[in-house]
Amino acid sequence: MKTGQELRAGHVINIDGQPWLIQKAEISRSGRNTAVVKTKLKNLLNGYLTETPYKADDKFEDISLDRKEVTYSYFADPVYVFVDTEYEQYELAADDLGDLVNYIEDGMEDICEAVFFEGRMISITPPNTVTREIVYSEPSVRGDTSGKVMKRARLSNGHELQVSDFVNVGDKVVIDTRTGEYKSRAKD
Amino acid sequence: MPQSPRWDIFCKVVDNYGDIGVCWRLARQLAAERSLGVRLWVDDLPALKAIWPAARLDDEQLLAGVEVRRWHLDFDSLSTADLAADLAADVVIEAFACHLPSSYIASMALKRDQGKPPQWYNLEYLSAEAWVEGCHGLFSIDPETGLHKAFFFPGFTPRTGGLIREHNLSASRNAFLADPGNSAQWLAQRGVERQPGGLTISLFAYANPAIDSLLRTWQASQLPIDCLVFEGGLLDHINTTLATSLTAGDQVQLGALRLFVLPFLRQDEYDRLLWSCDINFVRGEDSFVRAQWAGKPLVWQIYPQEDAVHLKKLEAWLEQTAEISGSALSAARLIRAWNNQADCSTQWQQAINEQKHWQQQAVQWAEHLNSFEDLVSQLVYFGQKSL
Repeated sequence: MKTGQELRAGHVINIDGQPWLIQKAEISRSGRNTAVVKTKLKNLLNGYLTETPYKADDKFEDISLDRKEVTYSYFADPVYVFVDTEYEQYELAADDLGDLVNYIEDGMEDICEAVFFEGRMISITPPNTVTREIVYSEPSVRGDTSGKVMKRARLSNGHELQVSDFVNVGDKVVIDTRTGEYKSRAKD
Repeated sequence: MPQSPRWDIFCKVVDNYGDIGVCWRLARQLAAERSLGVRLWVDDLPALKAIWPAARLDDEQLLAGVEVRRWHLDFDSLSTADLAADLAADVVIEAFACHLPSSYIASMALKRDQGKPPQWYNLEYLSAEAWVEGCHGLFSIDPETGLHKAFFFPGFTPRTGGLIREHNLSASRNAFLADPGNSAQWLAQRGVERQPGGLTISLFAYANPAIDSLLRTWQASQLPIDCLVFEGGLLDHINTTLATSLTAGDQVQLGALRLFVLPFLRQDEYDRLLWSCDINFVRGEDSFVRAQWAGKPLVWQIYPQEDAVHLKKLEAWLEQTAEISGSALSAARLIRAWNNQADCSTQWQQAINEQKHWQQQAVQWAEHLNSFEDLVSQLVYFGQKSL
């Protein structure tokens, strides 16, 4: 069982006998130590999308899901294709990529965790860290090597993030996918 | 002729009088202005009696046109036969995040299966925060039954559910204030003979050590000050500070300050108190809203929450009032100090120095709130739209 305040993107819950994927869950504190969770939900049987609020103490039945390791294969507009260790292919729409959309690029070898409902891939989680090349960054502040000054930079897929000022175009950086933050320049 | 819809309001009193205060107003207005059959389920009848003395502690009663029912702890042990005979209402309001009894929800599902799904509302807490507009009016799907429930947020903008406001409230207030004799008489009936050139302050607040700084300031005031305070935690604190044992009906003179202790007032009488005073200290939600309708300067003590989250909500309201009716910086500073339980002496003096501006802001804010539909109208219209 999950409560409203435990709902997270990627969870699948049973609402009136139907499986719903949580695409987004935002919690806001209401009065008297209660809270409201605004969710974006997708019905896994018919694809229906809805924005739905719940109370933080509403209760939801978990739905049992299968998980396996997959890697990214290619983009076949409008879906992204992944393969498992047995080269079985699975498709996922852009809306269901979650945070992975920020790090996806051709040739990536990162092992991700895919979640399945009745044999269908419904969500994916990247590894805790990924390494990506910087293709654009703002000019550096002269002489800073402290790592405390940050600047805007961009990955090959267009995703932007803040990196240490000493990072240059062509450098590879380690990113924490749980927070979306730059961790360090990758060691060669 | 079609029967008018039946409305059920469920109210669980957690603490103080805000839950029952709002629910009782809502029930009365629905019954009186919309001629609806309204049933109010409440678990704490003494709380209702405190704000409406005519209430009895009976399981069932008809009061001011509302059927009041005791919400027993063992509601769910009602027999199936009773439930079938006492089907859920056409419109159901669960107030302030309370949870309906599961047997009642089952009754609602039964009604839905018969082709007459009830309209179900979660009436949320009042807040000026921006996220409220993004959640107001959204539908939730009950995980067990699939019933749809609308989240209804009271608020201070047209994109929220508005505030409770009786249709004749402005007219009543204006008529009362048109003759200064009305407020003088109302106060005199409660033992308060207005002092020329003085200030009359109502004080309805949670226990707050900052009152000590205000008592000192008011005692030393150049203007005579009459302060009308209610029994409760704050009066207990005042009694400790002054080494007194004041109760309802008592009064005491301390320098320039006269302190009067009032008994709890019936809801409609509380409005007259607010109209009769120059500055109103209020708390929580119900008295806070009524003080805004009064169009007088107010000092709001917001309900304290864990992690000081309430201070963000306070700031959201202060920002909204400043945006709509102009800043009253000194008043805002006083309200912040009051909520931080800090010494308020300096802030009080600054606010009083700008009392005229503070009063103008209060009037403009009330005009803004009057410019869009009240909560009951919005609830009724929302329901009609949803059919």
